[in-house]
Amino acid sequence: MEPGKKRTKDDTWKADDLRRQLWAVQSGHPREDKKLREKKLHKESEVASLEYREHRSKDPDRDVRRRERVAERDPQTSMENPHGERDHEKHRERRKDVKYREKDKLKERHREQDPEKSHSRGKDKEKEKEKDRKVRKEELKQTTAYHNLLVREGRGRQLLERAEKKVRAASKARTEEKERRDEDSERGDEERERRYRERKLQYGDNKENPLSYWLYKEDERKHRKPRETDQEKRYQEKSSTREKREKHSKEKGNSFSDKEGEERHRIKRHKEGFHLEEGRRSHRDKKERSSKEEHKKREQKEIEKEDTDLETAGADDYSASFEDDFEDYEDDFEVCDGDDDSNNEPDSQGKTEELPLAQKREIQEIQKAINAENERVGELSSKMFQKQGRMEYEQEPQADANTSPSRTPVCGIFVDFATASHRQKSRSQAIKQKTRSTKLLRLIDLDFSFTFSVLDLPPVNEYDMYIRNFGKKNTKQAYVQYNEDSVDRDIQTEDIETREVWTQHPGESAIVSGGNEERDFSDATVVPRIDTPRLSSFLRAACQVIAVLLEEDRLAAGPSWNPHCQDSTLSISDSSSQLNTSLPFLQNRKVSCLHASRVQRHTVVSVHDLPEKRFSQSLDSRHLLCVWDIWQPSGPQKVLICESKVTCCCFSPFKAFLLFAGTVHGSVVVWDLREDSRIHQYVRLSDCFWTFRTPTFSTDGILTSVNHRSPLQAIESVSTSVYKKQSFVLSPFSTEEEMAGLSFHIASLDNGGVLNVWVVVELPKADISGSMSDLGLLPGGRIKLVHSAVIRLDDSLSHKGTEFWGSPQTLSVKFLPSDPNHFVVGTDIGLISHGTRQDWKVSPKLFKPQQHGIRPVKVNVIDFSPFGEPIFLAGCSDGSIRLHQLTCERPLVQWDSSTNGRAVISLQWSPTRPALFLVQDESSSIYIWDLLENDLAPVAKQPICPDRLVAMTVMGDPEKASGSFVALVLAKASGTVDVQYLKRQWITPEADEHKKLLLFLQESPWREWGAAGMKSNFWGRDGSYITRHFQKP
Amino acid sequence: MAKSIGVSFSMGASEGGLDADKNTGELENTYILRPIFQQRFRPSVVKGCIHAVLKEELENAEYSPEEMPQLTKRLSETIKDKLKELGYDRYKMVVQVVIGEQRGEGVFMAARCFWDADTDNYTHDIFMNDTLFCVVAAFGCFYY
Repeated sequence: MEPGKKRTKDDTWKADDLRRQLWAVQSGHPREDKKLREKKLHKESEVASLEYREHRSKDPDRDVRRRERVAERDPQTSMENPHGERDHEKHRERRKDVKYREKDKLKERHREQDPEKSHSRGKDKEKEKEKDRKVRKEELKQTTAYHNLLVREGRGRQLLERAEKKVRAASKARTEEKERRDEDSERGDEERERRYRERKLQYGDNKENPLSYWLYKEDERKHRKPRETDQEKRYQEKSSTREKREKHSKEKGNSFSDKEGEERHRIKRHKEGFHLEEGRRSHRDKKERSSKEEHKKREQKEIEKEDTDLETAGADDYSASFEDDFEDYEDDFEVCDGDDDSNNEPDSQGKTEELPLAQKREIQEIQKAINAENERVGELSSKMFQKQGRMEYEQEPQADANTSPSRTPVCGIFVDFATASHRQKSRSQAIKQKTRSTKLLRLIDLDFSFTFSVLDLPPVNEYDMYIRNFGKKNTKQAYVQYNEDSVDRDIQTEDIETREVWTQHPGESAIVSGGNEERDFSDATVVPRIDTPRLSSFLRAACQVIAVLLEEDRLAAGPSWNPHCQDSTLSISDSSSQLNTSLPFLQNRKVSCLHASRVQRHTVVSVHDLPEKRFSQSLDSRHLLCVWDIWQPSGPQKVLICESKVTCCCFSPFKAFLLFAGTVHGSVVVWDLREDSRIHQYVRLSDCFWTFRTPTFSTDGILTSVNHRSPLQAIESVSTSVYKKQSFVLSPFSTEEEMAGLSFHIASLDNGGVLNVWVVVELPKADISGSMSDLGLLPGGRIKLVHSAVIRLDDSLSHKGTEFWGSPQTLSVKFLPSDPNHFVVGTDIGLISHGTRQDWKVSPKLFKPQQHGIRPVKVNVIDFSPFGEPIFLAGCSDGSIRLHQLTCERPLVQWDSSTNGRAVISLQWSPTRPALFLVQDESSSIYIWDLLENDLAPVAKQPICPDRLVAMTVMGDPEKASGSFVALVLAKASGTVDVQYLKRQWITPEADEHKKLLLFLQESPWREWGAAGMKSNFWGRDGSYITRHFQKP
Repeated sequence: MAKSIGVSFSMGASEGGLDADKNTGELENTYILRPIFQQRFRPSVVKGCIHAVLKEELENAEYSPEEMPQLTKRLSETIKDKLKELGYDRYKMVVQVVIGEQRGEGVFMAARCFWDADTDNYTHDIFMNDTLFCVVAAFGCFYY
């Protein structure tokens, strides 16, 4: 074995070992050693098992006896101490026992055993002992200087080891194990022993290191000897006391213990016999050899000591028997010393004796069984040992030939040396390590720093376990509730029954007047959607219808003026009616002017002059205007008052809710017919309230810089948007007209040639208290006029060689319906000026009569054809009627003698027939012209007499083929206003009348003229400008 | 649930350090109280080493009660040897390997050491697969 390896083994101290080592070193108590020794003895004496040991302790006598018998059986072995040093003390003890017992035996039952043998054996033993003792004493002397500690420590071990090593290598281990189990307190010592033993074995095996063997042996012996001597001394004393005790026990349990003991011992003897015989050979030899060697070395020095030792030993030996009788108290001291085994033995013995027989028998049986087993084991181990031994013997001689003549003794010696040296080494090493550790521990802090949590694996919950076993990998289950948002609600109360009843006019659906009992609920749930604008328009129309019906009923009832009315029907008319101008405030007032709305075809306004007779203070100085509905002739719709004389008036173009009027003072006044009547003057006249509406806005006194300075001759509404012919087609309640609203201008012409253009502005909110900024506005009124532009017609008229006549007067103005930018102005010199609002160049600039030269002829009236033709009629003061084309300077046709030279006062195209127009002259005659029928003279002439005709206007509705009418409103000098409905022949247009008119217009020029050729521009019907060259045929 | 855990300890010490110390120790106290910095027990390095071993050995391992004792022993030996190769000269290595079956139970392992916290250290690594868990704890104790 290599030293390195050995060292490592030593180095890896076991904790227990280290502790024990340290402890042992610190407290080297002799008592400990003694105790140890005592225990060793017990251990060795028993063969194997604890049970057996206990049994033996109960019955120590038997044990001793057994040994005795063993000795007796083997006389040869008894010659020398077969147990060697191991059983040295035991033998000594036993010897004393034996002595004592032999005495007893000799006395009491010497017949049983062989007395001779025992005697001889005893003698032999004694001799041997003497010899041994001598040797040991010598050694003791020699090694007294040696470390006391080591001696004490090693002693017991040494004994054990040597014996066991030689005798039973295998069985030893077993017994030791058992012992260890039993004696925990002593386990440490035994382990230590075992280790030493192992080391010793190593030395023993190590044949290449004889020196170490030797040293080891030496060492071992040194340790052994002193202790042995000590033991001897003590045992001599102890044995004496024990003998005494045993004596007592013997006497007590004599009867049965002998028999049992014998039986048991017989069994055991076999076993022991084996061991002993085998151990003996090598053991004995070794002993002898070592002792001899020792002798030789130290004889000279220690002869004297030896002698004394021998003497003392002998004295001790022999004195033991004598002391038996006297030293009774020694026993007690021993007990106090802590010798447990010796103390316990008698007690336990006593106990077993007291046990009942049945129990004892049981115990005996158990013991038997155990012994049997032990025997078996023993045999086995002995066989094994024999084999091993043989092997060793074969090997040893070759290795150790020099040192040992015979095999066995050499082996023994070497083992001793090896163990000794090794133990020394290990001891020193232990000390070194101990000191090292103590020093180190001062420098180092050992602590439980903290606890490391190495693994914390939480238990898997059931769900995860399930998923792991049965679920898919890498998937996770999620909870989803389908149709979660479908919430169902239920109400237990029944639905409330409802019933709808309609009690007002106009009725909706089928529930009018109480509804229907049988109708189902679904019908009732239909909520009628009310179209408010439509309803209002309907109401408006219905009101008119109702009013008209009421009017007719009243007519049928026969009022005072009705027959008169019937009489007044003219030849040209189918029927007639009379507007009720007999109202008190209209009496004695002449109608100076009439104007019919082009949109509301049955609305007409009459302008009344100042009354000839005084009637009312408040109204006498004021001029009145009446707005009539010809269907309701019984009274005017609205009555308007004006401070100054009204010369002309017109309605707003799209919806006749505004009335504009021009006065002789050059002011323009506006009435808003929608205004609430409450903001106007109330007059109670003959049981009836009349509202006299003052103008909403008047330019009187304001805008003096631009305002007219001369009487107004004409006032016209001008649509800012392009004229649409369709506007005539639409019904009066059409929404388009309402939307058009106020998108129009007002043009006012005074006789000084100033044409003002006004913008009509509707204020978003009426101010009852009056406006500070808008002067001329009626408090609460919402319509005002803003001056937009002024067009001076003087310039265009003056340079035409009219110097003689001064500045020409402008008498009338008309705007081209298809293009409101173009207008024509009638003058008092027979010329008609053509102008535009934006000062464009236009041709011709003037429309002239067929007569060349400037004559003082007033162009009183101009009227454009309402059917979109760019033609207009002009009626002159000389009685001539001119049909002008817009593109032509000279008239297409001029009729000079149709009125017999009487001035034309009024002239108007028929609203229903493009080729028909009506003319009124100053002689109170009405002419009807039908150009298709007769283009040279009027087709009809109706003189109005005796009541002279003052003013005339034409109203008509071309839309309804059957219901269309053309009414002539005639204002007479008497102040009455008649409505004459023309006959159907002048109302209903002919087929293709429009084309025929166009054809007539194309043909007319060259027939009248006779010029060689001329160029003529036409406005096409689609608005394109057509240039024509007419050739004289 | 039945479960068996195989535990195996393997102890080993690097040699050489003590020898020198012992010889000179008599003359004067040249104790080495702290390891050389390079040879200090570094848990991260050791952990990596352990981890490598575990990965290699247990990659396809499945738990079987018969094989586990041998496996634990083998693992502990391999790891111990590997740690020795790392050159912790004056360290005594203690490698503990525990292999248990994964059956959903909770397991708690803890270690407590009575040592010099300045020099001694410890690391552990855990390997788990579907059938088993393996905990390796390596303790390094310094020789003074």
